[in-house]
Amino acid sequence: MSEDLGQRHSAFRFHGTWQEFAGIAFPNLLLTIVTLGIYRFWATTREREYFWGKTDFIDERLEWTGRGIELFIGFIMVFFLIGLPFIIIQLISQGLIFRGETIIAGLVTLLMLLLLFYLTGVAYFRALRYRLSRTYWRGIRGGSDDPGFQYGISYMWKSFAGWLPIFLMVPWSMISLWNERWNAMSFGPHRFVATAEWKPLMKRYLLFYLVPFLIFVGAVVFGIAVAASGNSPDALGGTGMAIGGILLIFAVLAMYIILPLAALAFYSKYFRLAVGGLRLHNLEFEFRARAPDWILFFLANMAIIICTLGIGYIFMPYRSWKFFIDHMEAYGEINIDELTQSETIVSKHGEGLLDAFDVGAI
Amino acid sequence: MTAPTFFDAWHYDGKSAIKRKVEVQTIGQQFFLLETERRHGPFMFADVEYIAQKGDVDVYGLNGEDGWRLMLSGPVPTELAAMLPARRRYGGWVDRLGLGKATVAFTLASAAAVAVVLFSPQWLAPLIPSSVDKKLGDALVGDFGGRFCSTPAGDAALKKMVASLDQNPQDLQVEVAKIDMINAVALPGGKVILFDGLVKQARSPDEVAGVLAHEIGHIREKHVMQALLRQMGLAVVLGGVDGNSGALVNNMLAMSYSRGSEAEADAHSMKVLGNAAISPVATASFFERLSELDGSARSGDKGQGIAGYMSSHPLSRERKKAFEKSIVKGKNYKPALTSAEWTELRTMCTQDRKAKSGFGFDFN
Repeated sequence: MSEDLGQRHSAFRFHGTWQEFAGIAFPNLLLTIVTLGIYRFWATTREREYFWGKTDFIDERLEWTGRGIELFIGFIMVFFLIGLPFIIIQLISQGLIFRGETIIAGLVTLLMLLLLFYLTGVAYFRALRYRLSRTYWRGIRGGSDDPGFQYGISYMWKSFAGWLPIFLMVPWSMISLWNERWNAMSFGPHRFVATAEWKPLMKRYLLFYLVPFLIFVGAVVFGIAVAASGNSPDALGGTGMAIGGILLIFAVLAMYIILPLAALAFYSKYFRLAVGGLRLHNLEFEFRARAPDWILFFLANMAIIICTLGIGYIFMPYRSWKFFIDHMEAYGEINIDELTQSETIVSKHGEGLLDAFDVGAI
Repeated sequence: MTAPTFFDAWHYDGKSAIKRKVEVQTIGQQFFLLETERRHGPFMFADVEYIAQKGDVDVYGLNGEDGWRLMLSGPVPTELAAMLPARRRYGGWVDRLGLGKATVAFTLASAAAVAVVLFSPQWLAPLIPSSVDKKLGDALVGDFGGRFCSTPAGDAALKKMVASLDQNPQDLQVEVAKIDMINAVALPGGKVILFDGLVKQARSPDEVAGVLAHEIGHIREKHVMQALLRQMGLAVVLGGVDGNSGALVNNMLAMSYSRGSEAEADAHSMKVLGNAAISPVATASFFERLSELDGSARSGDKGQGIAGYMSSHPLSRERKKAFEKSIVKGKNYKPALTSAEWTELRTMCTQDRKAKSGFGFDFN
């Protein structure tokens, strides 16, 4: 019994509607407010149950089995194991500053920041692991036996290495970390294999990297050209000032519009390369959204939030999931008989670390 | 006891991804899942847990069997439905109470938690032993990085002033720090720090006495420990709220409390000034000068608008009025220090060359 995906239109399909999602999002908002935010762990869980349950992979829906209490326990653990010690360390370093021990206080703070950076890496890894271990398809789940502590070290040194040559190696660090993360994950009996390449990403990255310089150079060249074509500075007078002002406005607008566009173009290429380099046994994956899709997606999100005076914000998880699934594609075949249960360990706590640092997963 | 059923039932055993069409065979508290050539089970109904609703299909799992699934659709017979766990929507408590009742209950619980955090410090603070308070103050301040000024005559003048303002001066530690700012702070462990900038700009010792009495008021009313406890409590209670809004609520609550504390400290100051026969006129004029700095004198009678409500200190102009009102006509006021003592106190930081100056860090 095997499924040939080549025959199908798309392996991933999302059946949700925003009206149905509203029935989840509004009670979630209400309960989150009246519990001073504590309900948000259960709110997240309900949203995921809905998204996963409305998403078809080939012929069966996905299933989210995570629990609100797991996320809550994760949050509490982070609060006591990391939050509280850090508050105390901060108090101590303030005391040190009061006593004039500025250097020691600086060192303590630096160490604290380094530790936080390390934990952010661990958090990325563990969030992905948690999500895979709670995702079921045909009664089979994913996961990893790696606790992610080693990944935290990689995250630190690869990030630094990416920043060191004036941030030019960031694409390498991003892709390399993606590969390392996914290579540690599995679904059922199969390991994920991530072999994304970073070099094809460089052109887009340089585009983004050079935008500020290009805008600056463009403005200067244009300014000189205008000045040269005009008569004497006296003759230009007021118009010259006006043109200068317009130029400045253009430069600022360019920074606020072109720079985010370039960033999106880079990210779209990154995500396409990263997902495209991913394999699971005989399955290959593809993410089909290109830069214009991402740009439209973000513009629509902004329009929704603005037109609804902010309330539309609660629909953003819905929009993101729909965007993600609509553009996901898988090729190859799955042998259902071979797809047996994952033997990875399942941790009892959720994404506390990730929640504490407020970063996205995948 | 066995009864065949006529609805759709599908099964994953959790060991492989094969989807099996089954029939549910119920025997008392147990059940079997029947395939054409195989029988799965027996399973206990007590182990069955609700997983999710997918479209018109209800999905059940089995406690202890990873990935085991039973998916039912169509008219499930009532005998079987009665054995299965209920659907879950919001999560335990909310499902049991219903959304409306749960909302009310959560609102009340949240209000109670906030109320406890806001009001308990008032009676919790006095319960904290003074040794703990002292240790905390020592840990926080130490020798203030060598910024405290000291000369024999200056110390004596300061000691005399403290003694006239408080009946138990031995558990206070009042210091002048070589920092050029018009400010004074009360800290844990009975510590009061007067900044040299404040002493230097003062036009009379009475003015310094008024400010010092205000800070001593904070210590005697246990405001420092109360504020510390309240901040810690709010941080815990509002820790669940998303960063920015939590911090905003926290700051507004803390602010409204510190306004109350400032008024109490002012009242304490007026009382002890009166007891010590030191005139509050100088302190009133100090607030007059401060009000010119913070702009409350210019805003006319509408001064207690947003600025007055949001700022932690009551408006300087109102404080000036309060101190002026506390003047008792015909009372025989005497200066807080003799002019020789006052000169020694004012020049203490200039004379003490060993004391370090400035901060090396941002105080606010």
